[in-house]
Amino acid sequence: MFNSEARSIKWLPWALVLAVTLFFVPGLSGQAFAKEVFAEQAFAEEAFAKEVLAEEGAEEGGEPKVEWSQDVFYKDWEGNPLKGPVSGFPAPELGEADYNNYEFAPSRMLLWMANQQHLYFGSFVLAVPIFCMLIEFVGIRTKESDPVLAEKYDKLAQDLMKVSLTAYSWTAILGGVLLFTFITLFPGFFKYMAGIFRPVMHVYALMFLAESGVLYVYYYGWERMKADPFLKWIHCSLSVLLNLIGTVLMYLANSWATFMQAPGGIDEQGRFLGNIWHVIHSTLWNPVGVHRILGNIVFGGGIVGAYAAYHYLTAKTAEEKAHYDWVCYIAMFIAIFGLIPLPFAGYWLMKEVYAFRQQMGITLMGGIMAWLFIIQAVMIGLLFFGANSYLHNSMSRVKGSHRYMKYCKYMVLLLIVCFTMWMTPHTIVMTPAELKDMGGAQHPVVGHFGVMSAKNTAVNLMITCTVLCFLLYQRSNKKINVSWATQGNSWITAIFILAACNIIFLGVYGYFLPANQRVGLSVPQVTSTLTTLFAGTAINISMFKDADSYGEIEWGTQSRVGTYAIFLLAISFTWLMGLMGYIRSAVRLFWHVTEVVRDNSPDAYTLTIGEAGKMLTFNALFVWVQFVIVFWVGSLTGKKKAAPVPEGVPVPAQQQQ
Amino acid sequence: MLPEQQDILWTFTTIIFTLFSLFAFINVVQHCRAREGTNTVLWGTLFGTGLIINLLLTNHMFELTQQQQLGFISWQVLAVFLILLTWGVFFKSQNIEDQSPPLIRAAFFYTTISILLAGYTNWLPQQRSDPPPKATVVDVSDLTMEKYTAMGEEIVFGKERVAGSKAIGKGQCPLCHTFDPGDNIGRCPNLFGVEERSHTRIKEDRYLNEPIKIGEADGATGIIKGKPDEIPEEYRRADASELIGEDYLRESLMCPSCYVVKGYGKAGDTKSPMPVISKPPISLAKFELNAVLAWLQAKDTPGEFEKVTIPLPGPEDVAGGGDGGDGGGDDDGDGPVFVVGTETPQEMINKLGCPLCHTIPGVEGAVGELGPKLHEKINAPKRIKDSRYKGKAKTGREYVKESILNPNAYIVFNEEAGEPYPEGVMPQDFANKLSVNALEKLVDFISNTQPEG
Repeated sequence: MFNSEARSIKWLPWALVLAVTLFFVPGLSGQAFAKEVFAEQAFAEEAFAKEVLAEEGAEEGGEPKVEWSQDVFYKDWEGNPLKGPVSGFPAPELGEADYNNYEFAPSRMLLWMANQQHLYFGSFVLAVPIFCMLIEFVGIRTKESDPVLAEKYDKLAQDLMKVSLTAYSWTAILGGVLLFTFITLFPGFFKYMAGIFRPVMHVYALMFLAESGVLYVYYYGWERMKADPFLKWIHCSLSVLLNLIGTVLMYLANSWATFMQAPGGIDEQGRFLGNIWHVIHSTLWNPVGVHRILGNIVFGGGIVGAYAAYHYLTAKTAEEKAHYDWVCYIAMFIAIFGLIPLPFAGYWLMKEVYAFRQQMGITLMGGIMAWLFIIQAVMIGLLFFGANSYLHNSMSRVKGSHRYMKYCKYMVLLLIVCFTMWMTPHTIVMTPAELKDMGGAQHPVVGHFGVMSAKNTAVNLMITCTVLCFLLYQRSNKKINVSWATQGNSWITAIFILAACNIIFLGVYGYFLPANQRVGLSVPQVTSTLTTLFAGTAINISMFKDADSYGEIEWGTQSRVGTYAIFLLAISFTWLMGLMGYIRSAVRLFWHVTEVVRDNSPDAYTLTIGEAGKMLTFNALFVWVQFVIVFWVGSLTGKKKAAPVPEGVPVPAQQQQ
Repeated sequence: MLPEQQDILWTFTTIIFTLFSLFAFINVVQHCRAREGTNTVLWGTLFGTGLIINLLLTNHMFELTQQQQLGFISWQVLAVFLILLTWGVFFKSQNIEDQSPPLIRAAFFYTTISILLAGYTNWLPQQRSDPPPKATVVDVSDLTMEKYTAMGEEIVFGKERVAGSKAIGKGQCPLCHTFDPGDNIGRCPNLFGVEERSHTRIKEDRYLNEPIKIGEADGATGIIKGKPDEIPEEYRRADASELIGEDYLRESLMCPSCYVVKGYGKAGDTKSPMPVISKPPISLAKFELNAVLAWLQAKDTPGEFEKVTIPLPGPEDVAGGGDGGDGGGDDDGDGPVFVVGTETPQEMINKLGCPLCHTIPGVEGAVGELGPKLHEKINAPKRIKDSRYKGKAKTGREYVKESILNPNAYIVFNEEAGEPYPEGVMPQDFANKLSVNALEKLVDFISNTQPEG
């Protein structure tokens, strides 16, 4: 990167990319590898259970009185439904008495609100420890080479944790509200879920004790464990533990949602078949978990970015401005790196949805939910525009960036073209006359952009463009001196051109293949995009060795457009997160638990897009009102006791001189 | 939200607007106190008034329903705009450089972006999807094969088919299948000519041996391939000794993996991605499944039904309806309404829910005011002669019948309100809720209603 501060976190992309790859390889390559492994385990468990029961039966001198039933999802080696001992009651046929409501709003809306607010806050408090862990680690690694910068990183991590602490309590309160909303408004459904997930719910509650304990030691022990290098490592390790516990908590809670969407571990009547792991580890559990981790990082980055952007706008001194500008950069850096692999996690999730029930996938992509995906496309376009806009504006304050600024307009043009293609619907509702005028349900020209071949191409090109933008940003103030500079530049150029050609070629080729084969093209397209990310970044960073600098970043000079781009990203993340959550949940249509527990409440219908949109907007605005309150509460302690500036620590702006 | 409830977004927005006006008021008062020579009373009064107006507007918003709120909130937007304008004048007049705090600017930015997104979602085509009925009750007394295949078509495509949009009924078939020659979306086989293929397919080697052999049970469903006499009893056809085309079609619906058309399966065309139609979530009952089969057999020869081998259902086939062997139908009042004609007119009217909207003399408790009063002995003949009447009825009785079956044929003018009664409020599906006898009985009764006393 371009200055000493940024350079020290150059390994971050690698760490993030590696972590993401570890998650993606099983998901995106061929068959669902994880599921087969667990099928094997399940098979062994079944055999063991049979053996034990047979022994018990033999001991009692008769046949064991255990009823066996077929799993709705898991299969054995031969592809036949796995059998398990019936260990629970059938799913109830819910009636009027199983639903309660208030006069002022439908129960479904209240539950949606309670759920979404809890999820927003949960997402934030899970993301912040990830940031703190990374930033604190970078601080420790930087301490020897640049103690001033190390102190800055440490202080930033601590400040973020302080905000997170207030948000943590708030999340717990919202969790309580959600629980009571479930119990009071949907007692019949909750009873069934509690019957299935009883042990998981208890473990979940106990994990909160562990999470709280580690969190408090981590935060309140910060100052005490700061000076001694050994204790500092222990402290940093606590953040790893905190994240591990947080991830387990999230995965446990995810299992309830993924079970509702694509159940496993039960039979057709909804009876629990005795294996709690099957119930937890239903088919969507892994992709939803990965998608949420990445989503949390992006959302958390958006919130921290907006928090810093707000403070940047209110900063009274140049030092403050420089500091918050830098925080904006760190937050956006993390958010964008979470954003780039997010669509791939989405692909994986959709792949698993199709594998579970094709009709569920088609309801999402071509049925009643299809328009919501058009909205999602618009939102993703908005995010990429926001991210690129921030990078372009940020680049302008880097000395030496004039060499690359001229390319920005072409990148914006490419984004516009891809965005248009990305949001073109396959079909729209028309009158018969309009249909006749157009000559069919699809427009003869634009209609070609409505299919997945075009959309995959567009979104991959958009991501590739963002990667390119980021590489240019990285090298803005670098004068490359390595002897192989020409070869390096040629390689980067070749990689991007070849990737773009491959993406476009596969996109066009997809039109000539049947749908079931066409789906497979998304993998090489994604590979091309990832290659630009991996190889491009690797070559780019390698070329920075012995590079001269045109000058450091002028922190504190971020333009207003750049600042508002961060706000745009933050509110777009919030809204998009709500939208995707709604889509994932609403695709169950009139089922509480797909095909097992029918939703017989008066609210079992699927909302119109407009109704859903208003609710999403309300949720997004309402959570931001709460964030403002939480940040304000978090700032109260800071105001009482001004943090002493370490002696001899120059402010960021001075560092650049 | 229900129509009579408040809109969550507008309710929230109105509260935020009032909070904003409170913030502006405090901000102005603070500036005034910090500066000598500023007319605190004037500015305080102006912004205090703004606050009170917003408080009153917010209070009023809580008394409105969501439709009314949508119309009314523009007044509050105007009030907020005026406050913003006055605020700007205040800053300018006092030479205050550090104007509205970033919090307010960020809040307006957030609100604008979010509400624009909500607006975008409301600009798109709106479609609400209701859950399919748990049980379907059908009057089989006058059922013809034409009606029965039409029922099958409705299960496939749904009642309302909108041009350009994919019409999908309870069976959800068009999500994957196409039905016209040359049309293929690549997900599942085109079903044009399926009736003809059904007879030849059962003789093909591939059918006899792949992915499982005739006589073998499918693992997922337990159905034994090619054995119509082994099909679950509730779906089995009578005298199912020999395998015929109808059986192949039925098997395709109940055991999709018993035979997978080449190129459309998973795992080397051994597993079909198609759901079992007789099981959740689609759960077609026997008479519904047979209706679909009858339609499949008849659809390529419009108007001709010689190729249909499915018999018309009897009363015993449709009794209980529903859940496709999944615990049976639900007759405790949750199912759709159907009036057979053995009830009294008062019972029929109550069952159909007419008293909710209409005042009907002779029916106790029928004092609804949402729709016109039913004094049809007097009103019906007058309305036929109304210049606005475009229906086909020639007599009062025909008018009443038309009004029940096609309520939008003539919209009655509400003299008291000075405008027509709202169009589209009255259910359009009474044809599906009434047997012929019931309809006649109901028309007789309503045609003779007149003001009491």
